Amino acid sequence: MSSMTSPDAMSSSGTSGRRLTWLPRDPTVLLAGGMLVAIIALAVSAPWIAPYDPYQTGHIPFLPPSFMDGGSPDFLLGTDQQGRDLLSRLLYGTRNTLLTGFLAVLFGGGTGVTLGIIAAYFQRLDPPIMRCVDVLLSFPAILLGLSLAAVVGPGTLPVIIALSIAAIPDVARITRSTALVVMGQEYMEAGRAIGLSDSTLIVRYLGLNCIGSVFVFLTLRFGQVILIGAALSFLGLGVRPPEAELGMMASQGRDALFFAAHIATLPSLVIFVMVLCANLLGDALRDALDPRMRNL
Amino acid sequence: MGMRAALGAFALAAAAVMPVMAQAQTVTIVREVDSDRYDPHRSTARGASEVLFMMADTLVSLDFDMKTIKPGLAESWTASPDGLTYVFNLRKDVKFCDGKAMKADDVVYSMKRWINPETKSPVRWRAGKVADITAKDDYTVEYKLKEPFSELLYQLTQTFAVVIDKDNVEKLGADFGVKGFNGTGPFCWVDWQPRNEMRLKRHDAYTWGPPISENRGPASVQEIVWKIVPEENTRLAAVMTGQSQVTQYIPYSGFRTLRNNPATKVIESREAFWTYFIGFKIDKAEVNDETLRRAIVMAVDQAAIAKNLYFGEVEPAYSYISQQALDWNKGLDPELIKTNLAEANKLLDQAGFAKGADGFRQRNGKKIEPVLYTFTGSTWQKLAEAVQGDLRKIGVDVKVQLFDATVAWGKLATQEFDMFGMSYPYISAGDALNLYFRSANTPTPNRMNWKDATTDQLLDKGMAALKDEERAAAYGEVLAQVHKAAVWIPLYHEPMKIGYSSKLAPFKAHNIYGCGLYKGLDIKFLK
Repeated sequence: MSSMTSPDAMSSSGTSGRRLTWLPRDPTVLLAGGMLVAIIALAVSAPWIAPYDPYQTGHIPFLPPSFMDGGSPDFLLGTDQQGRDLLSRLLYGTRNTLLTGFLAVLFGGGTGVTLGIIAAYFQRLDPPIMRCVDVLLSFPAILLGLSLAAVVGPGTLPVIIALSIAAIPDVARITRSTALVVMGQEYMEAGRAIGLSDSTLIVRYLGLNCIGSVFVFLTLRFGQVILIGAALSFLGLGVRPPEAELGMMASQGRDALFFAAHIATLPSLVIFVMVLCANLLGDALRDALDPRMRNL
Repeated sequence: MGMRAALGAFALAAAAVMPVMAQAQTVTIVREVDSDRYDPHRSTARGASEVLFMMADTLVSLDFDMKTIKPGLAESWTASPDGLTYVFNLRKDVKFCDGKAMKADDVVYSMKRWINPETKSPVRWRAGKVADITAKDDYTVEYKLKEPFSELLYQLTQTFAVVIDKDNVEKLGADFGVKGFNGTGPFCWVDWQPRNEMRLKRHDAYTWGPPISENRGPASVQEIVWKIVPEENTRLAAVMTGQSQVTQYIPYSGFRTLRNNPATKVIESREAFWTYFIGFKIDKAEVNDETLRRAIVMAVDQAAIAKNLYFGEVEPAYSYISQQALDWNKGLDPELIKTNLAEANKLLDQAGFAKGADGFRQRNGKKIEPVLYTFTGSTWQKLAEAVQGDLRKIGVDVKVQLFDATVAWGKLATQEFDMFGMSYPYISAGDALNLYFRSANTPTPNRMNWKDATTDQLLDKGMAALKDEERAAAYGEVLAQVHKAAVWIPLYHEPMKIGYSSKLAPFKAHNIYGCGLYKGLDIKFLK
């Protein structure tokens, strides 16, 4: 079957699987992936490893991290302006930020992939679907988040909705273009000729052959979504008090930037590392799955 | 530290290369927002009053203590014993910016335009229930009321009551206060570019400044430019680099920088009447218990909020109005609820609010979790978090809902919430109490649903009182009533603080309507 495919298209999941095997040997991937896994593990286990209740106020405020002058060994990364343990809040904040990003990519990506594949497979539905996608493309994520938060009040849900909607058009377009290439393959025609149902063709042939490049895109998108999500929280639209979220923590720390810089810089640093790792991993995946890059 | 030193050095360098500004005697004031127009009867924003105080004058003026009425355009005045007739004797030397003499007819025209229903002034009620306003001769104005209004003179010190020029109003029509304004103030209108800058020049003939100013006119500086700079840190940088000489719109985190910088100084005044509070909807099941409310108020640590969130720049509040405000009931001072966590927990234990397995208290088997509505934005977010954190310590789980200002006012007019966060300006106890505690003012601004016949009677009595003591006694009793019922959690009183360039001579900050520079007569460059 692979002899019939053009070299540009992902011929089968088996081939991309083989290409992925060299990924773990790439030091960038190892580092980025390792960091991301570590961050996710820390975030997931926050309730068990956080040294304090992240909402408990009243410790000494503005304490610097323990390794700095004036720091206390009881508070590894210091405390914020309300006297809450910063390490505990960072763990919980990362949890919220990651969850927001993950859910937005899941919902937005899922919807985008579905729309893209339907548009490519059912030609008659292509124009209406893609025009709707064009309309979605014209909503800036931040403006959408602002309007949603104005109506239902700020919270995690409007941010997830805004980020999901913002992710749909790009994913739908990428999926559609990939799917259109796959649709032109002889094996799709052959599948039709032997009487396979639409659902089998879509799921087993079209879907699986598109998933590689879409996954790369979603990995890259994950970094962006985290960044926009943090920006929305920075503007005060994210989680509700007293929940912690990295963007909101950075925003709240701004007031104390001149004398307790750690309150704003530590959450910003975590955002930076997460986005960097997601982008590096996405880039490496793209390179691994792109045969032209592979042959270089 | 390095950053501050660098900013300081930059400010000094900028000061060295900008002597031109001092020579031109122009003072640039930066502020956050502009007004939609400068019509004293239609614009009630602080942004409008800031400029109107400089361009126009009032019959009477208010001392820095915010209590004593002083002369203004009126040299003297008398009130009849029944409190219904006020006679104002005007100064004879007052001129408008265009050189025309100001007479009693101008005063009558201004007041009548203010109360004319066609003007649609949102602050018409502040003139009292007027029977008639007439000019007895060129320099005598008679102001007759249908009912006594004990706060009339205080209201007449505000910008709604400034004297305007009839010819100017009629000539400009809808553009009055947009394309021009002819007033009798120490500064005259030059040019306004909305949302950018308002340019004023000195009124050279001005000699009738209020007696509280050191300089009664003409003003020391030749030109004043009000510039709009929306971002707070940019305003701070503008003052530090000498682009602006004075502003009251400095972020709390910036005052320390301004004090430590040799090129800048800070003026403070505690007679500022702007208070932040959280109110209870006292008839809602979650918070209808007075003991519970008292415990909640007691658990909030106002001193920590002021110190940690506002860098000690605000005054922790335990009273619903500033204790410096007119008619504050001094007898309440020892009874104000102060922060005491142990006592708050004890109160709740005794009242039978037992703690559940999750550490939160319960009433009739239901967790106590009141809903708090307030505004988005950094101020209320951090206040809500602080209060929420404090209340967790007594086992009360406040659910916070923040709304954008565009929808918040609508949400705050509903009965959906148990608590709400709010801030407000006032000139006296009567001003504050009549606004918030009248039964007729539910559901808003009386969002507490405080309906009490005694309160209403006392408020009426205060309004109509002929003697200061009577008025103070009536309002004092209302203050005692509402403080005892613990209907608010007072959070902090916002003081007036003005950052200014060391090149300016020190001056006193006024608090009238939150306009710290008042008439700008005492703003002058040091030689």
